[in-house]
Amino acid sequence: MAGPPRRLARSPQVGGHEVRDLELRGVHGAGMPASKRRVPVSQPGMTDPHQLFDDTSSAQSRGYGAQRAPGGLGYPTASASPQSAFLGDPVSNMAMAYGSSLAAQGKELVDKNIDRFIPVTKLKYYFAVDTMYVGKKLGLLFFPYLHQDWEVQYQQDTPVAPRFDVNAPDLYIPAMAFITYVLVAGLALGTQDRFSPDLLGLQASSALAWLTLEVLAILLSLYLVTVNTDLTTIDLVAFLGYKYVGMIGGVLMGLLFGKVVYYLVLGWCCVSIFVFMIRTLRLKILAEAAAEGIPVRGARNQLRMYLTMAVAAAQPLLMYWLTFHLVR
Amino acid sequence: MAFTLYSLLQAALLCVNAIAVLHEERFLKNIGWGTDQGIGGFEEEPGIKSQLMNLIRSVRTVMRGKKKN
Repeated sequence: MAGPPRRLARSPQVGGHEVRDLELRGVHGAGMPASKRRVPVSQPGMTDPHQLFDDTSSAQSRGYGAQRAPGGLGYPTASASPQSAFLGDPVSNMAMAYGSSLAAQGKELVDKNIDRFIPVTKLKYYFAVDTMYVGKKLGLLFFPYLHQDWEVQYQQDTPVAPRFDVNAPDLYIPAMAFITYVLVAGLALGTQDRFSPDLLGLQASSALAWLTLEVLAILLSLYLVTVNTDLTTIDLVAFLGYKYVGMIGGVLMGLLFGKVVYYLVLGWCCVSIFVFMIRTLRLKILAEAAAEGIPVRGARNQLRMYLTMAVAAAQPLLMYWLTFHLVR
Repeated sequence: MAFTLYSLLQAALLCVNAIAVLHEERFLKNIGWGTDQGIGGFEEEPGIKSQLMNLIRSVRTVMRGKKKN
């Protein structure tokens, strides 16, 4: 009974709510229709640079709640007319308000506790993508040779959301690519009559284990070389997850056209990922001057260059290792 | 392929255990990696060796702290 106004305000499936968001914020042309989340209402240069999605914190959801409350109250009365007298009762109004405040407190408690284990707010940044970004990024992963500017744009010290900058790392593509890789591996095994359902779990676990190992190895070497970088762990997971896209391409082409095409496509994707990783990591790991192309001598920079090259070279190796047994 | 998350966990556990059982006096001091032999270079960038020694010392301290209670 206390639920409906608040739940309606926060559910992302209600299409009419998106329109109301736009009206409320007075957005002018910022919104790409979000395919999976609500319409993003902030642009670079607007008031709140940290806002990726609609703010569901207490202040604004209460505003939505108040906005929706007449509609919410109207909804149960319209659908359950014998209870209209019961709802008009002031005591039940108070009970409903009390119940809704209890629900809000419970929600805050759960959010606070979850935020301690999984940095949900930081993760939201990596999923703030839209279709154009995904398209451009996939193009970049397969053909990074013509792209000129690899620098991530910043806005008041925070990196801009991936939606607005094609160079920013995101977790949407790696996550989707990983899942697709597991499915494609199952498909490949199935066409060779080697499939059984637990093999899917084994493939997923194996790929995850390699990813974890890579992340740990890179973190260890970054620590040993004392690189002062703003490369966070999640950034690293995002960059390392981009190779799954090439793997999927190679395996699919190999399934369709045979082993030679598999090697060709995989070779192309390997070189592309190599160039992509070098150009992306160069800006994060190497010193400022070296990143701009001026060869800076010195033992430390050389070490950092070797580290970048090693990380980039590990990608093609892993791409081959994780897919060659799928295409026979 | 059988390289699963569990085998990664096992490997990590074995590595941490290996670092924890390095003997301070018989081994680390003899190869110059003792805990009191590295701290000095604060004016320059710590090299790889001193970072490694720091890492080994930290791991051993954390492991020891958990044992003693």
